[in-house]
Amino acid sequence: MIHDSLIRERLVTGDKTAADVTRDISRPILNQPSKAWKVGFTLSVIFLAIFGVSLFWTVWTGIGVWNINKSVMWGWDITNFVFWVGIGHAGTLISAVLLLFRQKWRMSINRSAEAMTIFAVICAAMFPVFHMGRVWVGYWALPLPNAFGSLWVNFNSPLLWDVFAISTYFSVSLLFWYIGLIPDIATIRDKVKTKTAKFWYGFFSMGWTGSTRTWARYELVSLILAGLSTPLVLSVHTIVSTDFATSVIPGWHTTIFPPYFVAGAIFSGFGMVATLLVVARKVMNYENYITIGHLEAMTKIIMVTGSLVGIAYLTEFFIAWYSGVEYEQYAFLNRAFGPYWWAYWSMMSCNLLAPQVFWFKWARTTPWFIFTMSIVVNVGMWFERFVIIVTSLHRDYLPSSWVMYSGSLTEVGLFLGTFGIFFTCFFLFAKYLPVINMAEVKSILRNRE
Amino acid sequence: MGLVDKNLSLRNRNKMLVGVWEDEDSLVDATQTLVDQGIHIHDVYTPYPVHGLDRVIGVKRSRLARVAFFCGLTGLSLMTLMIWYMYVHDWPVNVGNKPVRFTPSWIPVIFEGTVLCTAFGMGIFFFLRSRMVHGIKNDLLDVRQTDDRMIIAIETTDGVAEADVLKTMKDKGAVEVREMENGIQTVIK
Repeated sequence: MIHDSLIRERLVTGDKTAADVTRDISRPILNQPSKAWKVGFTLSVIFLAIFGVSLFWTVWTGIGVWNINKSVMWGWDITNFVFWVGIGHAGTLISAVLLLFRQKWRMSINRSAEAMTIFAVICAAMFPVFHMGRVWVGYWALPLPNAFGSLWVNFNSPLLWDVFAISTYFSVSLLFWYIGLIPDIATIRDKVKTKTAKFWYGFFSMGWTGSTRTWARYELVSLILAGLSTPLVLSVHTIVSTDFATSVIPGWHTTIFPPYFVAGAIFSGFGMVATLLVVARKVMNYENYITIGHLEAMTKIIMVTGSLVGIAYLTEFFIAWYSGVEYEQYAFLNRAFGPYWWAYWSMMSCNLLAPQVFWFKWARTTPWFIFTMSIVVNVGMWFERFVIIVTSLHRDYLPSSWVMYSGSLTEVGLFLGTFGIFFTCFFLFAKYLPVINMAEVKSILRNRE
Repeated sequence: MGLVDKNLSLRNRNKMLVGVWEDEDSLVDATQTLVDQGIHIHDVYTPYPVHGLDRVIGVKRSRLARVAFFCGLTGLSLMTLMIWYMYVHDWPVNVGNKPVRFTPSWIPVIFEGTVLCTAFGMGIFFFLRSRMVHGIKNDLLDVRQTDDRMIIAIETTDGVAEADVLKTMKDKGAVEVREMENGIQTVIK
C-alpha cells in the first residue's frame, strides 16, 4: 500500500508543489542570465581559448611541443585522459546504478551528473586523439578497409578496445541523457514565450504530451538503458585500465587494475559532482532540491570509494613484495621514495587519508567543507594517474633510458583548457536546459513508500 | 498492427470529454472508477509518471524489452562477424604469434557493439512506437499538462453516457471538465 512516509527524511524540502518545481527549475531558462552565470561563462570561455591556442600549437608544430620522450611516452595527455574519463563515471553511476537500486535521492542530481559525464568524455577524447600526432588520419583507428590505411585494426589491442568503449559510452550516455530530458524539454516548450525558443524546444521535445502509454514505454526504456549502462560503465574503465595492465611495464602489469580503476573513477566522479553541485545549489537557489541529505549521501560514497582505492594502493605494494620480482619491487619503492615521491604522497594523502574525515557527521553536512574536500579529491585523482604513468615509465629497464619528465607549457595549457571545454558546456547546459529532472522530482514530492 | 501507436494522435477523433485534475490520488481514483463503470478511457496525460495508471486504463505491457533483446543479438552477431571477417578471413596478422581465432580479446569490442546496437535499436523503436519525431506537432489538451495538471481524455462514442461520465469526473475531484469537438474545447463545468 502506498502511504506518506513518516520516518524517512523528505528528499525535497520546502513543501514544494509540482508547479513550484516547474517554476524553480525553469527560472534560469526563462529569465535573463544572472551575473554569476555571466562571470562564470566568461571565465570558462577564456580557458576554452587557452585550449584552442595550445591545441593549435600542438597540431601546427607537432607533438614535439610536449615534453614526452622515448621513455615517458605518455605524460600529461594520458593522465588527463584517464582523469576525465574517470570523472564521467559518476554520472552513469548515479543515473544507472542508483536507478537499478531504486535510490530515489538520485533524482535531483542525475541530470547534472549525466551532463557532466558527456562533457567529461568530450574532454577525455581530446587527449588520445591529438596524441596520435597526425590527427587528420585519426580515422585509421576505425575498422576501415585496407585502402584507407595499412591494415585492418588490431583487435588484440586494448587501445582499440578503448576506441570502441569510449565512443559507445559517449553515444549511449548521450541517448540516455536525451531520453531523460524529453519530458522536461516539453515542459519548457509549454512555458517559453519567444518564437525561436518555442521552435527549438518543440523540435527537441518530439511532440511529448505526457501520455500514460508513452510514460509506460519510457520507464521501461529507461530501466533497460540503465541495465545496459551499468556493465557499460564498468567496461569502460576496465578497458582503460587494460591499456596499462596488459603491458609488461613494472607498476602497470597488475591484475588489480580493473576494479581499482573503476573504484577510482567513481571516487573522482563523485568528487566532481560534489564540486559542481555545492556551488550550483547555492548560486541557483536549489537548496530545497539538492539538500544536505544529498550531499551527505555523496560524501559517504566518496569515503567508501576513497578507501577502496586506498586498499588497492596498499595491495599493489604487498603484491610487488610478495611476487619476488625485483623490477616490480623497485617500481613501487621508486614510486614512494624516488624522485616523484611528492606526487605519490600527494596521491596517498588526498585519496586515502583526506576522505576519512567523512566519518564525522559535521564533515558530511557542511557544504563549504565538502566543496574543499571535493577539490582535494580531484587533485588527488589527477596525481594518481600521473603517478601510475610517469613513475612507472621514467626509469626503464636500462639505466641509460632513465629520464625525468615534467609537463611543458603547452601540455599544461591543454589540461587547463579542457576545464574551459567542460565548464563552457556546463554553463550553456545550465542556461538552456533544466539542471534538475523536473518530471522525476515531481514524482517524489510526496515522500511515498 | 502498425509500428506507430495510433492511440497517441488526437487528430480526426470523435467528440472528447476532457477532465482536469490537480491531485495524483484523486486522478487514479477517478480513473479506476470510470474504468469500473465500463468507460473506455482514451488516455491519461500526466506531467510525471504515475505508476500503475497504465494497467488501470488497460495499456498492454510494452514489447520493447523483446525488441531490445533482438537488437542486442543483431549487434552481437554483426560484431562477431565483423571481427572474424577482418581478423581471420581477410587479413590475419601475426602479432607475437598469438592466436587470431575467437580469442577472449574479441570480447570487449563485441560487448561494446552489442550494447550500442541494443541501446540505439531500442531507442529508435521507442521513438517510432511512441510517435516521437523531431519537430512533430504536439497534441496537447491543456498547456499545463506538462507542468502540474493531469488530464483524463475519453472519446465519446455511441455507447457512452456523457452525463454519467461528467458526474463521475466532477464527483472524483476534477477541477475542470471540458468537451472537445474538432479541436475546439468548451468548458462544461
